[in-house]
Amino acid sequence: MRRAELLSRILIIIGIILAVGAPLYFWKSTPIIHAQMADDGGWSPDVIQAEVGKPIRLKFTSDDVVHGFAVGQMDMQSMDILPGKVTDVTLNFDKPGIYTFFCTRWCGLNHWRMRGTIEVSGSPSDPEPISPPLYVSLDLDIDAPHDAPIIPSQTPFAIRGESLATQLPINIYPSPDYYLSHSPYQVFTDLSNTSLSESQRWDVVAYIWQSNTTKESLENGKQLYAQNCAACHGENGAGDGVFADDLAQAGEASMQSMSGAMDMMMQTPVDFTDPTRMLGASPALLQGKILRGGMGTGMPMWGSIFTEEQIWDLIAYLYSFQFEYEK
Amino acid sequence: MNPRFSLLLFMMAGMVVAFAPLPVPAVAPQARIFRIDARQYAYSASELEVNQGDTVIIRLVSADVVHGLYVDGYDVSVEADPGQSATLTFIADKPGSFRFRCNLTCGAMHPFMIGKLTVGNNNWLFRSIGLAMLAVFGVILSIKQKA
Repeated sequence: MRRAELLSRILIIIGIILAVGAPLYFWKSTPIIHAQMADDGGWSPDVIQAEVGKPIRLKFTSDDVVHGFAVGQMDMQSMDILPGKVTDVTLNFDKPGIYTFFCTRWCGLNHWRMRGTIEVSGSPSDPEPISPPLYVSLDLDIDAPHDAPIIPSQTPFAIRGESLATQLPINIYPSPDYYLSHSPYQVFTDLSNTSLSESQRWDVVAYIWQSNTTKESLENGKQLYAQNCAACHGENGAGDGVFADDLAQAGEASMQSMSGAMDMMMQTPVDFTDPTRMLGASPALLQGKILRGGMGTGMPMWGSIFTEEQIWDLIAYLYSFQFEYEK
Repeated sequence: MNPRFSLLLFMMAGMVVAFAPLPVPAVAPQARIFRIDARQYAYSASELEVNQGDTVIIRLVSADVVHGLYVDGYDVSVEADPGQSATLTFIADKPGSFRFRCNLTCGAMHPFMIGKLTVGNNNWLFRSIGLAMLAVFGVILSIKQKA
């Protein structure tokens, strides 16, 4: 009787320790990744190791404000990281390489600097050939000025352009390669040997641009723009986002020592509603600018985050600040 | 005059001042549009005044980190990222003063990020002035009676 009681007590204590301790041990074994504003250090740690084919479980918490987590060029739902809460993410990588993870909720002027990498090791199952982006193969200088000398007197209207384009003898214009490598102004000058008036030529240009995108692309681009670009470039594309003034101020302090006062003028975000700049830029040129960023400004490098398709959708949306498309 | 009777009279008068329904000025309900800029750790326009029955449309514009806006009493909320302003629409059908506060942790001073929504006239100010004057009047009267 006495021994049996002792034994059962020991059994109960061991059971309790196992029930509490084992989950705690496994939970503790994945360390928590802390998110802070970029000014205070960003992610810590900011380099994560992973292996191909092995699911990796990550835990996040925020030390200050609301942050988000997503991995660039990966089809995943972004996760919110809230202060005082732990967010669990399980990731699976099927290709080795270095992935960029980034903050998805705006957390201040330097939000976009909040990035880290996941180094995925393993043998590649099928090595993919890497083709250079279009602006490299076209050998474009993406820092050269590209102002359009002639701008339309009214917003070009794609529907008017459509009926005009059918009368034209040529039909090479709406081909994707032509669209990607030519700026609206170049197409406008290419059309100068036709009998159309200037505003009619701009309408045809608008039609060509519309026929190279879809409503889904524009919608996707609009969403990407709101999430990633609007804070600086403005919700309506006018370069007047909530951070525009802060950027100009920060630029004075941070850029002066690097390349003098002249370059600082570039610190204000570009106005996409300005036809001189936008109509002089080809999609390939814009792709280069978005991929690489920089340009002596606070423009982030998006190459490691957006997929190529996302960038083309975004570019299609940027042109919609210039052209009036069919609704 | 019987002091008991006059006390009763004053109490009746006090009840009337405190609870008598005032004629509500006939203002047709309208849509009120506010733009609120949210920064760490304040709203600008932090005090809103509307009439009862108005439709309140608040456009919340965040200028640094993700902020929220939650209206106490109405239990409605909205959150805005910088670059993605958000709109909150509700009908102010409850009179009174209500706190609104940030409901997304936005930094160390987050709990102090508050504002006030006033719906309808602040009747209680005038009613309490009336009550105070009535009390003063009553005290003076009772002193005179005793003297």
